[in-house]
Amino acid sequence: MSSYHLSAPISDPDRAAGSVGEPILELDDLYHRWKGPKPPVLDGVSLTLRAGEVTWIGGRNGVGKTTLLRLAAGILLAQRGSVRIGELTPLSKGGRYRRQIGFLSAGDRSLQARMRVAQQLDYWGRLAYVPRERRAELVADSLRRFGLEEFAARRVDRMSMGQRQRIRLAMAFLHEPRVVLLDEPRNSLDDDGYQLLNEQIEQAAKRGATVLWCSPRGEDRVIDCDASFTLSDGNLEQVA
Amino acid sequence: MRLWLDAMWGIIRRDAILFVSYRSQLIAQFLGPLFSITLFYYISHILTAKSIHSPGGYFGFVIIGLVIVQILTISLGVMPVTVRQELVSGTIERFLVSAHGPINGILGTMLFPLINALFSGVLMLALAAIVFGLPLAGTAVLAVPVALLGTLAFMPFAFFLVALVMAFKQASSASQFIVAGVAIIGGLYFPSTVLPGWIRWASEVQPFTPATDLLRHLLVNAPLVHPAGLELLKLAGFVAVLLPAGMMLLRASIRYGQRSGTIAEY
Repeated sequence: MSSYHLSAPISDPDRAAGSVGEPILELDDLYHRWKGPKPPVLDGVSLTLRAGEVTWIGGRNGVGKTTLLRLAAGILLAQRGSVRIGELTPLSKGGRYRRQIGFLSAGDRSLQARMRVAQQLDYWGRLAYVPRERRAELVADSLRRFGLEEFAARRVDRMSMGQRQRIRLAMAFLHEPRVVLLDEPRNSLDDDGYQLLNEQIEQAAKRGATVLWCSPRGEDRVIDCDASFTLSDGNLEQVA
Repeated sequence: MRLWLDAMWGIIRRDAILFVSYRSQLIAQFLGPLFSITLFYYISHILTAKSIHSPGGYFGFVIIGLVIVQILTISLGVMPVTVRQELVSGTIERFLVSAHGPINGILGTMLFPLINALFSGVLMLALAAIVFGLPLAGTAVLAVPVALLGTLAFMPFAFFLVALVMAFKQASSASQFIVAGVAIIGGLYFPSTVLPGWIRWASEVQPFTPATDLLRHLLVNAPLVHPAGLELLKLAGFVAVLLPAGMMLLRASIRYGQRSGTIAEY
């Protein structure tokens, strides 16, 4: 991708503008082993995600992609190794760390079923510490960007699976995070939804965010990735 | 601070929206206390207990106990269930990945049940006064700061239950056990002085007894066994010791889940 200067994102208002290729999220020597007589699911994984880049990680089911994303998001804490965005880590200055993260988990969970779509996005904006004066504007913008305007007043549990996936994606992007972590984001999306997702990824990269997309296989052939990896036996291998 | 308050208000608003979306809950919350008060109003007519020195008789004595049981049932009973629901529905993930964070998020989920419990307690007192003619003391207004201090003293028990949910994914039986135990040793339905000597000490080593005694004194003019200042000091002491301990336990349970990977399990 071409080099250009970037504006400071809302997720980190204290940060000066950066430039494409600058390291944002650094995972170093990550190790994670689940309980039981099983080998570690991650065994010394290192990865640097850079501004303006899109990275894809594939691998078979249960290989550790979700664990890696959860470690990067700060949901799980590393048993060994480190996760950091500059001087921020999930343990030290965890709130500021998480403010940089936009996260989409696999599946259809993490929605408040009986809230209306706009309420759900406003609620997330508050948790993500979006300033009051910008929240309404960003909620409206997210509804528009993911084709949800006509459903703004509809309750979440009355939406289809694909529409719910759009709401979940809207939350991942709403607060203009510097790091967007997506676990199987295509789930249940129709062609229009997939198109909207790709547009948002492109826009996020243009404003200097880094995007990490994990899915079992194939997406590196259809999305415009700067780097592709396969996770296998606890290690990452770059795909040529 | 403003962003923190906005987030906390967002959680309270979310829980209020969810609560009123189930309309039968609103009706049950009004009718349940009314039935309890009615039941004890008529029981008090057939009781003549020498150990009750409250001006309102047994009804005046037990109504404060009922209010506290109602508050405990709604707060201690609902909080761990709410957090468990967050785990099951995956909505806890929003706290885990947000700037607000899991500790603040879980504290936020405790606020609506607490507000609801306090509102329910006030409603019970109002029903007892208006419908059943309970004479409230002139010092009733002073019960507000004492109730708030008492709430702070109850909170560590909620933290303990929520920490159990975060670590072991279940705690509903523990909350029932705590509420039932408090009802016995805290003197909610009967004076703790009638308990046998071997268990009476337990009424002195938890915050529920001084909170109940003080509230009874301020609301219905019941005489105090110990001076009010001493009871207040005891209550403040429990808050000073138990609140940080409860917070530490909650934080440790979340860290354990994040380190072991069980935080996302349910």
